[in-house]
This record gives sequence, C-alpha cells and structure tokens, in this order.
Amino acid sequence: MGRFILRRLVGLVVVMFAISVIVFFIFNVIPGGNPALRMAGRHPTQENIEQINKDWGFNQPLYVQYVKMMDRLFVKRDLISYQDQTQVIPTIIAGAPRTLSLAIGAAILWLVFGVTIGVMSAIHQGRFLDRVLTVLALVGVSIPIFWLGAVLLYLLTYKYRTVPLFSWIPPGGYVPLSSDPAGWATHLFLPWIVLAVVSIGFYARVVRSSLIDTRSLDYVRTARAKGLSEWRVLTRHTLRNCLIPVVTLFGLDFAAAVGGTVILIEPIFGLEGVGQYAQESVAHLDLPPLMALTLYGAFFVVVVNAVVDVAYAYLDPRITDM
Amino acid sequence: MEQRGGWSLAWRRLRRNRAAMVSAIGLALLVFACFPGATLWANYVAHHGPNDQNINGYVHEGGKKIPVVALDGTPIGPGLRGPYLLGADANGRDLFVRLLYGGRISLFVGFASAVLCVGVALILALIAGYRRGAADAVISRGLDLIWAFPVYLLAVALATSFAVGGIAMGPIHVSSQSLAIPILVIAVVYIPYVARPIRGQVLTLRQSEFVEAAEAMGASSLRIMVSDLLPNVATMALVLLTLIVANNILTEAALSFLGVGVPILTPSWGNIIEQGSAQIYTAPALTIAPGIAIILTVVSLNVLGDALRDALDPHARLR
Amino acid sequence: MTRIWQMLLLLAALAFAAGCGSSSSTSGGGSGGGTPVNGGTLRAGIPDNPDHLDPALSYTNEGWEILEATNNGLLTYKKAAGGAGAQVVPDIAKAMPTVSSDGRTYTFHLRSGVMFSPPVSREVKPSDFKYSIERLFQVDSGGVGFYTGIAGAQQYAQTRKGDISGIVADDKTMTLTFHLTQPDGTFLDYMAIPFAFVMPKGTPEKDVSTISQWRVATGPYMISKYTPKQQIVITRNPNFKSWTTDTPNGHLNEIDVSIGVTPDQSVTEIADGQLDWYFESVPPDRLTQLKAQYPSQVHLFTRNNITYFTMNSKKYPFNKLAVRQAVNYAIDRRALVKIFGGQGTPSENILPPGFAPAYVAHNFYPYNLAKAKQMIQQAGVEGANVTVWGHNTDPTPQAVQYMAGVLNSIGLHASVKTEDESVYWDTIATQKGDPQIAFNDWNQDFPEGQDFIDVLLNGEKITSVGNNNTSNTDIPAYNKMIDQAREMPLGPKRDAIWAKLDADYMKNVAPWAPFMNRQWPKFVSPHLQGLVFNGNYFELFPSMYLTK
Repeated sequence: MGRFILRRLVGLVVVMFAISVIVFFIFNVIPGGNPALRMAGRHPTQENIEQINKDWGFNQPLYVQYVKMMDRLFVKRDLISYQDQTQVIPTIIAGAPRTLSLAIGAAILWLVFGVTIGVMSAIHQGRFLDRVLTVLALVGVSIPIFWLGAVLLYLLTYKYRTVPLFSWIPPGGYVPLSSDPAGWATHLFLPWIVLAVVSIGFYARVVRSSLIDTRSLDYVRTARAKGLSEWRVLTRHTLRNCLIPVVTLFGLDFAAAVGGTVILIEPIFGLEGVGQYAQESVAHLDLPPLMALTLYGAFFVVVVNAVVDVAYAYLDPRITDM
Repeated sequence: MEQRGGWSLAWRRLRRNRAAMVSAIGLALLVFACFPGATLWANYVAHHGPNDQNINGYVHEGGKKIPVVALDGTPIGPGLRGPYLLGADANGRDLFVRLLYGGRISLFVGFASAVLCVGVALILALIAGYRRGAADAVISRGLDLIWAFPVYLLAVALATSFAVGGIAMGPIHVSSQSLAIPILVIAVVYIPYVARPIRGQVLTLRQSEFVEAAEAMGASSLRIMVSDLLPNVATMALVLLTLIVANNILTEAALSFLGVGVPILTPSWGNIIEQGSAQIYTAPALTIAPGIAIILTVVSLNVLGDALRDALDPHARLR
Repeated sequence: MTRIWQMLLLLAALAFAAGCGSSSSTSGGGSGGGTPVNGGTLRAGIPDNPDHLDPALSYTNEGWEILEATNNGLLTYKKAAGGAGAQVVPDIAKAMPTVSSDGRTYTFHLRSGVMFSPPVSREVKPSDFKYSIERLFQVDSGGVGFYTGIAGAQQYAQTRKGDISGIVADDKTMTLTFHLTQPDGTFLDYMAIPFAFVMPKGTPEKDVSTISQWRVATGPYMISKYTPKQQIVITRNPNFKSWTTDTPNGHLNEIDVSIGVTPDQSVTEIADGQLDWYFESVPPDRLTQLKAQYPSQVHLFTRNNITYFTMNSKKYPFNKLAVRQAVNYAIDRRALVKIFGGQGTPSENILPPGFAPAYVAHNFYPYNLAKAKQMIQQAGVEGANVTVWGHNTDPTPQAVQYMAGVLNSIGLHASVKTEDESVYWDTIATQKGDPQIAFNDWNQDFPEGQDFIDVLLNGEKITSVGNNNTSNTDIPAYNKMIDQAREMPLGPKRDAIWAKLDADYMKNVAPWAPFMNRQWPKFVSPHLQGLVFNGNYFELFPSMYLTK
C-alpha cells in the first residue's frame, strides 16, 4: 500500500514537471508574442528593447528562462506578469475564493438535482416521466455553456428586467461572501444555474443507469419480496451502492470544472476568478500567469485523481497492479 | 462476447426506438439543409451568399425601403422575407444563409475531428491494451499527461500556437487559415477520453478464449489486433464516435468563443455566436439562432448515440 | 491676487472639512451646469487593471486620466475641452520657460511650497525632476524616446551610470535647466505629459504602482489604495494647496474604482444607479437605446484620433501607388462608420479635426468602386493574395471583414486574420510579421501634428522592431520637411507645414486608407456633472462633481 502511494506521488511530480515544460515550450514557440516589445510602449527605441531583454532575461537560452521562471513561481513566489507587471500569485489567491464559490455552489446544485432526477427516472423507468426527464437531461448537456450564460444574462437582466421575478438579478460582477452574503448569492445565482444545467444531465443518467443495474440484483429482490416499498428499497439498499461511482466521478468532474469549464463562464459574468484570469492570460499570451494557472489546475486534477485511485485501491486491493 | 452477426439484431432494436429515429431523420434533414440546401437557398431565395456584405443596401418591405444596416450600426431583425429571413449582421450579411453555410463547417469540423480522434485513440488503445509492458506505460502516461491539462487551456494553447504561423513540419505545411488546425486541436485533446474506455475493453478481451486460441496458433500481434480485437471494440468505438461528434461541435463553439476556433471569414456556428454576441442587445437573433442550431444538432447526436449503445449491447456500460 | 488666494484656501479648507464627515452639498443648485458641489464619492468602474499607476511607466488613457489628478510636472495642458485644451501652460514651473535664442536651452523656475503627499511629505525640488527623468531610463519606460534629445541622455541610456549632463538642477535657486542637442519646439509638450511628472528623489527604479510608500502625489488627489484586479481608492491629498486655476482642488472627496466591470455590466449598473462613471466608452450596440432613454446622461466627446488601414509599401501588392490609391477609392467610409456604431465622422485626413489649423480637410478619394477596380486591373495585380489584419476587440473584426470584402470585390483575393489586442500592436510593429494591410488607430500622446506625422510617417523613424511607421513610408523630401518643422517653435507657421504634409502624403503617397475620427460616447450617472473632456487626459477628475 505504501509503495503504491509513493509510486503515485512520484508520478505526480513527473507529470507536473512535464506539463510545465510543455506549457513553457508551446508559448515560447509562438511568434508575435514579444513581451519586451509590449513592455517598451508606443515609441520603443532599440536600446530600450534590448535593455528590457537584458533585465528580464528574454535573450537567454530557453532552459535558463525556464529555470528562472520556476524559481520565481515556487521558491521566491514573486512571479510577475508580462502584461502589466503585477504579481501573479496574489492575483490567483484573490481569485480562488470566487472560482471556488462558483464551483462549489454549482456542484451542490448539480449533485442534488442530478441524483434526484436520476432516482425519479429509475423509479419510473420506461414510462413517460422517465422519457421526459431523459430528454431534458440530454438537452442540458447539449447546450454551449457560454451561450447559455450570455443569453440568460441578456434575457433576465435586460429584455425582461422589469419582470419582478428577474429584477433582482444583477448584470454581472462578484460580491465577497464576507462583506455581503445576500449580494454574494444573488451575484452567483445565474452562474450557478448555468454551470449546473450542463452537468445535471450527465449525473442524472449515471445515477439512473447505476440504479437500474443494481435493482435486479438478488438482495434487492429479497428486499422487495419482504414487502418493502419501492422507495424504501431504493434508499435503504441500492442508493448507497450506486452512489460510489457517482462520488468518484464527481471528484474528477469537479476538478475538471474548476480547472476547465470556469474559463468559459467567468468572463461572461465578470467574476474575476482564476477562470477569467486564465482566459485573459491566454488571450494576452501572458506566459507567467498561464504557467502558474496551468500548473495549479493540473495539480488539482492530478491530486484528485490520485486520491480517488488510492481510495479505490483501499477498497479493492486487486487494482494496485494495474 | 462475439458480436459478428449481431448487427442486424442491433438495427432492429434501433428502429424500434422512436426518439432515435426522429433524431436520425432530423440529422439527415440538417445535412441536406446545410449542404445542397444552402446553395439552393442562397441562389434562389435570398439572392446573396454568406459573405456578401450589404451595409448600405436596402430591403423592400410593404412598399418601404428599410436599410439593411441603420446609421447607428443596428442591423435589420428577423422577418418573413426571402432575403434576411433571420435578419442581418453588422456587416450586412444574411444570418440565415450564414447559418446554413456555417452548418457545413461546424458539422465537418465536428465529424472530421471525431473520426481523427477515435481513429487514433483506437490504434493507441489497441497497442497499449494488448501489448502492455513498455508500450502501455508510455502510451498511458502520455495520455494521462494530456488529460491532466485543463481541456480548454490546452486546446487554446495549441490552437494559438498553430494559428499564428501555421504548422511547418517537414513535408507537412498547413496554413494558419486552414480548418485542419481546429480539427487537429479538438481531436488531440479528446484522444485520452476515448482511448481509456477502449483500452479497458481491450484489457478484458485479451484474456478471452478466441484471443488465446489465435495466439496459440501463432498469429502475429498485428493480426490479432486487427482481426480479433478490432471488430469487438468496434461497437464501443462507433458509439463513442457519435457522442464525440456531439462533443466536438460544442468544443468548436467554445474555441471560437475563446478566439481560437474557425478563422472568422468562414462562418461556423461557433464564430457566428462569437461575433454576434457583441450585438446581443440590438440584434439578439445573431447569438440565439446559431446556439439553437447547435443544441438541436447535439441533442440529436446524443440521443442517437445513446440509442446506438442500447441497441448494440443492452448490457454494456461505458464508464 | 491675494483675495483669490484667500478664496481658494477657504474653499480647500471647507472641502477638507466636508471630506471628514459625510458628503454635503453646500449649494442647493439644481442639476445641469449649476454651481459645483463639493464632496461625495464617485463610484467608478474599469474593465481591467490600468497598465500602470506609475507616471514613469503608464502609457494608456486610463492611467493618464488618474495621474492627471494625482501628479504634476513642470508644465501641463489647460484643463479645458477642445482646442483650448491643447495649450501648454505652467504647472509646477512658475511660468513658461525662457528659451535661448538657439532654441537649445530651456530654463524653468519652480514654485516653492509644492509638497509630496504622505508619507514623503516634503517640498518638491529641481533635483527631484532631474531624478525623475533619469529614472525613465532606469525603468525602461515606454516614453524614453521623448527625452533622448536632452544632452547626455543617449549615453545615460546605454551606460545607466552617472547622470544626464544636460539636466542642471539648482535646488537653492529652484531652477531647472535643460540643454538639448538640437532645437525642438515639441520639447514643451514633452514636459507636459505624465512621463515628465515629478517623483521624489530615491523612488525605486522599478514599477511603484503597488508600492504605496513611494506612490506619492503632488496634485489634489492621491492613490491611497491599489489592489490589482480588485479596486483603486483615490482620496484627497492632505498636503495639496492649489497654486493656479489650472490645478484646482477638485470637488469630489473620493473616487472608488472597481476593477473588473465589463462594459455591458457598467451600462446596467449606471442605469440602476449603482455606478456613477465608467472609464471606457459605451459599447456601440447600446448607444442608440441609451441616447433615446437617458439623453442627459449620454455625452459624446471627440477624441483626437485617426482610425485607418495601413498599407505596407514594402509588400506586394501595396508596393504600387495605384493599388494604395485604389483602396482609398474602394472603401465607403460611411459604411465603416456604421460598423463603429455611428460613433465617428468619416475622414481621409491624417490629422484629426481637433488639430486645426494644422488640420485642413481634403477629399481626394470620393467613393468610386468602378474606378478602383479599373486601377487594380491596370496595375496588373488582379488575383493577388492579401491578408487583412486586425485585432479582435469589437467592432474591429467587422471592419476588417468589411475591408476584405471590398478587396475581393475589386479583384484581389483577400482573407482575414485577427489577434488579441494586447499582442496585436507588437505584431504589426515588427518588420518580420508586418502585414500587407492592417487595421490601425492612433490617439494623441500630446496635441501636436508632430505626434502623428513625424511618429507615423517619417522614413527616418523606421525600425525593425517597435516600428510605428507601419506603412514603411520613406520619402526623403518629406522626411526633411518633418525634421525642419520639428525644430520650429509651436505656432501657425509650424501648423501650416503639417497641413501641407497631410495633403501631400495622402495625394501623392497614399500610405494609408484613413476612414474615421472616432468619437468617445460616455454614459454616466444623472448626478454626475462637470464633465470636461480634455484631449490628453480625457474627463478631468478635478472638474467632476456629484449633485443630489
């Protein structure tokens, strides 16, 4: 067991290193992203540009630049963006609570609704309600997430603004939980819904198929034979078992959402979390924040993966030799 | 379990699934509308193509001359008329015509990238799952590495990198305007997603009797992979293909939103949304219409994919 | 004189006292151009961090708009709108400098009693100015190019050792003398822009935007807090005493800037009364509705701007004059203005109307698609492949697609390429990547023809990297005229030369297809009054006031 964990940890470090090298390489091979030129302003002199190159180390061999960047990122923790020379790490730290607020809130929504819809579908399997819910779930995962955000924002905060049901929805921005809990919730309401809608369908289907599979097992039939109601059978005997794959999938998807999908939602609502920072950094070809964000994002995903694997190995020792 | 000869059984099961049939017909109609239909509409009803800009032009309605684009830049909205059925965009181009032509591109990019993705994933999964050992280690770790990146970050990084100067590797030269770039990028980032379940199935299959029999008879690895394993993973691959086409159409839209999708002069549903969203307050149709087109297409593909999975192997689970 | 001084002091004291308590309105005056009201906090929004809040480094209108209220230099521009706002007037200098007869020596006398804000809190001295100019070179400022004409500056730029010999500071007599290598009439403008604003001697040689103990002010306001991506808080500078009407006390007590407000969000929030003012202009597609619904809250300001397509005369097919002229005939400037939401006036001049009398409108290229097609055919470039470049901030992609459509219709084979705005400007400024035809725009750094014609069209300024002469125009006779005009003192004779060059370049060289002078529509809270738009600093914070 210990060796398994150790192997996974070593694998983690190797993956992180490889990712950092790949990101660094991709962005240094791109022509047209000359940071020295950008910093030099509108009337740059040749000497000015050369001086910036010297001060920032842009004219040194790539591997030296790479080492310097890793040093500033992990050791000195004073990495600076090329775009406006602000500190990268404090910006990420300031943005993290916003992204987590978005992701956690949406995750609660999609888990609750996903499981409920999945259970209801399974109970009424094959019948009308099941079909309707399945189609709705499928529609949910078929919507482009940024489109949904933009269209809802337009409809609820502009076109139908005067309808009392919608007039309290703010047109974007973020309010910290500590300063105004009510404002925090109203500002995150639409983003939560958008992020949840596209994920509910997936979980509903997984819960549904998992339930359908377990219900034909022996111990379930026994419970039914004992005269327990369908609901009792479901909640007491089958739900717990079928939730295991859901929970593990949730771990992976949550990490993927935090690391990936937020990049599409945050800019629409102006939430200024790490997702928006990532989208801006890529657009500006701003390598330092991109490096930091990709590494933290990948780290998050890989750690969750490793935790899930360890948990599985704990539950089923046969897996350790895979 | 052997599947040869199970195809006709599957087809019968599929036919009985009404939702799937509706989706299939819908998709067929869509393909017709976007391919031959687009040219017919552009030539005979709208009288202009997807890139004909008519900023200072007029539409004649009810005896009045209405400018296609007003002095303050507001384009005309949807109306019951041949030209500009769904209105115009800021450059005076016909939204409906662009939707039809854009459908060509979106469907093509979605389909081509899916074929590329599943094709490469199949090859990698077969090699990794059957050969195991070093090949498996390298391929699996490589795929894990790709999958560890946040998907959109990796896609945008690759797309930006290729889009600036195109790709020039030896004899392969791809211009930065080419569709090959989004197709390639979208295919690459989802290879791990497709390869993993296929590899899992290969791992199970390699211990089955017919494989052992083939090995005992001295068949080469290549032979076994192609004649014995491949047909058995083909059903999973087919289902995944349908679902990945749906996924890739969404990804193309997301990449266009992030600025690195299909180059803008060629309309695609994704870049029509991206350009139209700047005018969402004055011309919401520009954003809403392509989004609905995407939703309808992707839902149909998802329904079809689900139905395929149920039809081909009612007991199969992909995750 | 003393009377006015007393009044100003009284006002300052009142304002300071009012600022300690809640916001108060001393005069009951109604809305509209009534009496300014002191007090209140302006709630402002900005989409992203300003580039810098360090005068040595900031080079955007957002940064300059803030720094105009917080920092000062020897000279400044009259705090007025329109042409009046182009006049250079003294600021920390007591009067305009005395200039030697050979035009190479400028002598300034400083006012006494101008104080730096806390925590530095001491008087501004000539040595601080000398240090600030030298610091530009130490921090790789984007503005160093303006000051290389000072004797000793070039050596200092390269060695970074010693000092700039051409700047002589005498703290005892409060005199500051500049020795230039050549006469340069534009030197007065260089002393009025934020790069020449004074920072205390000893300010670290790096960006102090986030270092509050060195981010000090000399003006009526100071930046008391800056958290990147979150907020900027601007409050009154307790050490400030207004010394002329050109540097007034300001009416507002505080300005709170929220960072990260999107343009559409700002429109809704201002309409709802949650925001008072936004740094950026109204998104083009909201303007019509806002003008109809809130007419008194929409202000249309004219920037000194030229929006154009630049054509690279070193690249086929734009190396042929006929082709460049054909493009000028082929574009319908009214259509392009529509793409920009009607927020502009069509133009084919190089200089903007605000520069009159240096601006004299001409019309050499009335819209004529047929003639353009014919010229392309005669030039023998039919079917030539052309890529039109632009950045992806709306509505530029639409303008670029329009140009591509036009080029296709006159017989070329055009495609489009867009890049993110933050990297776009560097790309087109590099010879290696320099496109054939590209979207471009230029806003004044300071209100003088030299800032447009010399910077953008002088062949001697062509560089391989950081090239602002993106059309690679190099006409020796015109280069010489530009160099001669530069040395002349500011005035009508100099303006006449710029007007002539404007016409000559467009008629005989056609390096660009200029199409519009862009306007700057703003949507503000109904309580916000006193909006004065200065071409260099945009809306002046010290002029603004809030009514109830």
